[in-house]
Amino acid sequence: MNGRAFRALVRKDLVLEVRGREVVPAMAVFVLAAFVLFRFGLGGETLAGGTRAAVGVLWIATVFTAMLGLLRGFAAEREDRLWDGLLASPVDRASIWAARTVSLLVFQIAVQVLALPVFWVLFLQQGRTPSYGVLVLALLLADLGMAALGALVAGLASTARAREVLAPVLFLPFAIPLVIVAVSLTTGTIPPQTAGSHTVTRLGFLGLYDTVFALLGWALFEYVVEE
Amino acid sequence: MSSSEAVACRRLVRRFGERAALDGVDLALAPGETVLLTGPNGAGKTTLLRVLATVLRPSAGDVSVAGHDLPREARRARAAVGYAGHDPLVYPGLRARENLELYAALYGVDPGAVGTALARVGLADRAGDLAGDLSRGMLQRLALARATLHAPGVLLLDEPTAALDAEGRQVLDALLAERGRTTLIATHEPERFADRGWRRVELRAGRVAA
Repeated sequence: MNGRAFRALVRKDLVLEVRGREVVPAMAVFVLAAFVLFRFGLGGETLAGGTRAAVGVLWIATVFTAMLGLLRGFAAEREDRLWDGLLASPVDRASIWAARTVSLLVFQIAVQVLALPVFWVLFLQQGRTPSYGVLVLALLLADLGMAALGALVAGLASTARAREVLAPVLFLPFAIPLVIVAVSLTTGTIPPQTAGSHTVTRLGFLGLYDTVFALLGWALFEYVVEE
Repeated sequence: MSSSEAVACRRLVRRFGERAALDGVDLALAPGETVLLTGPNGAGKTTLLRVLATVLRPSAGDVSVAGHDLPREARRARAAVGYAGHDPLVYPGLRARENLELYAALYGVDPGAVGTALARVGLADRAGDLAGDLSRGMLQRLALARATLHAPGVLLLDEPTAALDAEGRQVLDALLAERGRTTLIATHEPERFADRGWRRVELRAGRVAA
């Protein structure tokens, strides 16, 4: 991978977002609105399923927020017809995918920094603090997996006509295993649950998920974007 | 294919679904030659340029650019080709200088070349402007700076005179007067270059007209 080109592409995405403020504010509003709707629609830990259901809300909102971000992935390239400029350059396509993955990851982390405290206030009872180390690691691994998958799907959808339909159809089924494991993992970090040997196994699964989609993105992106 | 030709197509076919936009194109450009590619709308001019720029893969036939067979050696060919398409291919949300810095990184060009390229197209004093704030003529000049930033041996220009301002025409003329570069120009205005003595190739329905 060309390190200079990769850094230039990441910088381009971040500069465009800072100036245009198109993706992160929309993702933040979406996730906060989802929390509020679930909170007042279903209740917090008092809803059936308790902590697990509350954590499920967190991860469902996270996945849909990531999907919102990926729908805007390569938006500039599509709307301003810039793909030809990138594809005519000698940069390897894996660098384009990797740069988009990092951009999506940064956007998701920025949104979660804002959203997580709100989640705790709205959904968890006072004094029920999670194991922050495990939670942060789980979030980072899950975010990386969603970003790697999201960049691949965004590339595929960017050249398709029905991209708003295609992107969720491709993204959501692959996000299901991630949500199942992430919910179990996160629930286990909140008392009265205690992190046990399952925690390491589940973190390992998230790491494996990231590895698989990183390899797929790396290997397939060229075929996804080249006609 | 013959490495003595800067651009060579033999029975080149490019399909979009069932439709063949290029239907057996034979074309060869000698090193340093400039050729005008003409023809009506839909004749396949833009598709041919996009195939030669490695943006599109050929469906069938043999293609080589700068001595590299496509699509097998596309990456090496890309470093030798400059492509200015219908659109300027610059990010409106980035400044003129930032756009060229991005492309300099993609092409592995020294960042110092950016200032020179901007000065060459008369945009040195607009380097800090967002590309989206530039006039259409200025964007065309920025597109020319982008396409030639890496000093390509083969230059592909798609309607380069469209929306070009007076200063832009001077920039284009100076660019085309440089020797040693192979240039293929798709144009609806061949008379604009009538006094140059360049060879003219006409495409019709995806084939080179006899």
